[in-house]
Amino acid sequence: MIEFAGKGVGKRQNMHEIAIRTEQLTRRFGALTAVDSVDLRVNAGQFFGFLGPNGAGKSTTIKMLTGLLAPTSGRMELLGLDFQRNPIDVKRQIGVVPEGMGLFERLTGSEYLHFVGRMYGLDGPTTEKRTTELLEFMQLADREKTLIADYSHGMQKKLALAAAVIHGPRILFLDEPFEGVDALAAGALKSLLGRMTERGVTIFLTSHVLEIVERLCSHVAIIHQGRLVAQGSLEELRAGIPGVEEEKKTLEEIFLSIVGQSGGEQARLEELTWLT
Amino acid sequence: MADVIQLPGVTEQLKLIAGLRWNLLKNNLQRKNNRWDLIGMILAAAGSASVVVGLCVAFYAGAYFFLTTGRASWMPLLYWAIFLWWQLVPILVAGFGANFEFRNLLRFPLSLRAFYILGVGYGFADFAAVSSLCWIASMLVAAAVGQVRLLPVMALASLLFVLVNVTLERLIGSWLEKIFANRRARELLVGLFVLSVVSMNFLNLAVQHWGGRGTRPRIVHLVSYFSWSPGSLAGNALAAASDGDSQALVLTVGGLLAWLGAASWLLWMRYRAQYLGEELSESAAPSAGKRGARKQTASSSLPGFLSPPVAGVMSKEFHYLTRNGFSFLTLIIPPLMVAFFTLEFAGNNSQIKEHGLAPQLFFPAAMAYLILILLSPAYNSFAFEGHGIQSYFMAPVRMRDVLVGKNLFLVCVVIVELAISLGVLVWRIGFPGLPLFLSTIAAAAFAVTGQLTIANWSALSFPKKMEIGKMKGQRNSGVAVWTAFGVQIVIGGIATIVLLAGGWFGNPWLPAILFAGLTAAALGGYVASLDPLSALAERKKELLIETLCR
Repeated sequence: MIEFAGKGVGKRQNMHEIAIRTEQLTRRFGALTAVDSVDLRVNAGQFFGFLGPNGAGKSTTIKMLTGLLAPTSGRMELLGLDFQRNPIDVKRQIGVVPEGMGLFERLTGSEYLHFVGRMYGLDGPTTEKRTTELLEFMQLADREKTLIADYSHGMQKKLALAAAVIHGPRILFLDEPFEGVDALAAGALKSLLGRMTERGVTIFLTSHVLEIVERLCSHVAIIHQGRLVAQGSLEELRAGIPGVEEEKKTLEEIFLSIVGQSGGEQARLEELTWLT
Repeated sequence: MADVIQLPGVTEQLKLIAGLRWNLLKNNLQRKNNRWDLIGMILAAAGSASVVVGLCVAFYAGAYFFLTTGRASWMPLLYWAIFLWWQLVPILVAGFGANFEFRNLLRFPLSLRAFYILGVGYGFADFAAVSSLCWIASMLVAAAVGQVRLLPVMALASLLFVLVNVTLERLIGSWLEKIFANRRARELLVGLFVLSVVSMNFLNLAVQHWGGRGTRPRIVHLVSYFSWSPGSLAGNALAAASDGDSQALVLTVGGLLAWLGAASWLLWMRYRAQYLGEELSESAAPSAGKRGARKQTASSSLPGFLSPPVAGVMSKEFHYLTRNGFSFLTLIIPPLMVAFFTLEFAGNNSQIKEHGLAPQLFFPAAMAYLILILLSPAYNSFAFEGHGIQSYFMAPVRMRDVLVGKNLFLVCVVIVELAISLGVLVWRIGFPGLPLFLSTIAAAAFAVTGQLTIANWSALSFPKKMEIGKMKGQRNSGVAVWTAFGVQIVIGGIATIVLLAGGWFGNPWLPAILFAGLTAAALGGYVASLDPLSALAERKKELLIETLCR
């Protein structure tokens, strides 16, 4: 593993506070080890990208970090709290846009946000006020009486994001947050997320669109076949790949150099003569 | 050019589809929870098989009797029964089959002809078709044994009847698929369908009340119009052959051929539309609703003593109930059925005045019926959550809050339903006296609290996804059904013994006192169960999420 943790530059006041820390985090499904002894370390206020090929263990890791899946072994600490011992206290501090978005499709957008607000213990007036503001910001105010089932995929994504932030979380977990979201809304969302990190909110994001991660994230971790293979700031990752000038390396090149370039792909491609 | 040298023949494609369906069923059962479901399915299948075999005997006996006693003109009755079964049952029990959209096959390079033949062939694979074929075979055996000279005509009429049925069933199915692709139409039609089924109960009463003497001839007159239906034509072909009326025989067989031709043409046109790329999916988002002052959400008006999560869950349950046409109808149906029972079996207007049931029996019986209907959904109370189930595990709440919210809402619904139904009873058959009235209320309280604990356990342990506005596959898991059945039998038994105890000891207040004690005990058990159930939910969360988000 290429280990860069600890070399990052602290640019904010609370950067030294650790928001997410895992120790030997492991999840097995029968004989399959989906996540294998992962040691993650994310400082508070970081915009953190969590990358990996399909089936690498990204969603499984996020599910464990958000309480949707129990780890087989290992330890998770969020904002200094042991997740297994204080699940309720941890959940109060985090917001999640999970895989599948977790929406109740037979509620309207406004009813759903109201429901989520109450589940996080917000009082009625506060929930009402935040619901209105979030629907406006997400450009969903004119659809507040439309059932979520009738929303487009992008609108559902925006609503899921609104629900994830309604209680003002200190850590935000986003699983493919920009998938299906139009360019206009994506721009507004990126601004919002940027402002949140400036206020010290930690954002833990997975995406297959490496350009987005490169543009938004200050730090990145790469998981491959269940194991964490790289972790650090983008500069640190670039510096760790030999043979190419540092400034010319894109995240895609870094990513491929770590997980993809075993040489086997070319050989397998040669076998597909009937197609190529 | 693609390397598809030669398309497989229709027989080969039929084999491929049969294999696909088998693999879907087999792989679906590999999930741990579905193995339990398999037990429920096996029990249901054994029950269904015994019904089919029993009815084989009945159809054999009926056909044998009609054909050997010169009553061949009654044969339409048997064909009519099969016709109705074949056309209606696929709509009602389609959920027992593997969930497979036949239209999906269109992504493969099939010709329209092959697609049509596969579609019709697929129609022979459902339960209604198989059972109907068994019954027709039984009738043919009866003809072979009792009236062999009619066998060739019966074989021909039955063959045409089978082809008409399978084509019609596929035609209706494809139209329903088209209509049900729209959510609003789907929900409306499901609601109308259930209401029409319920209203059938009142048909006899309406005829008795308003029909007068002239009704029967009018109905008989109406029946004559159905002589051109497939069931009548198939039966009348036999009657014509039995009477040696060749003209009528030609007409009836020609009628069946006309049915087959018309249904085949319409089905061909439907499949052609699908083949040419008919779009069935719903629009992404309808036009925006009008913006206006925000309506206060239901949870804002809930009592302040409820914690925000409990209030939130109750509010969500309320919205889901009002938007689930099928569940909403289950609220209308119990009071309607209570009204029906009182009209039919009790009171001054009863159809059986001399032997009408006494109020002393009616109150507990109506209460038992209501509890039976209203509590059943609690055994799979997460059924409609879909991906929303994740919200419960992401939010900083314990599952006890979610269960309490759901249970409290259900209790409110039961209270409203009981109040309406008891009101109907008092209006229709009179007040049964305070002891029995209170006993009934206390018994209801015991039956509800007694069931909720086990219903919560069942909902967490054996979840089954259901979708609002769909009829296909909308059933609880087999284990949940049997659990509900067992618990209701036990609670019903206890309630019966307690109610009878009042009579045995000559103390009319005794049942109310005993039920109050039982309710207190059940309530204690319920409260004590909430923490263990929260722990169970944590252990079962992966199963719940996997099952309901599928």
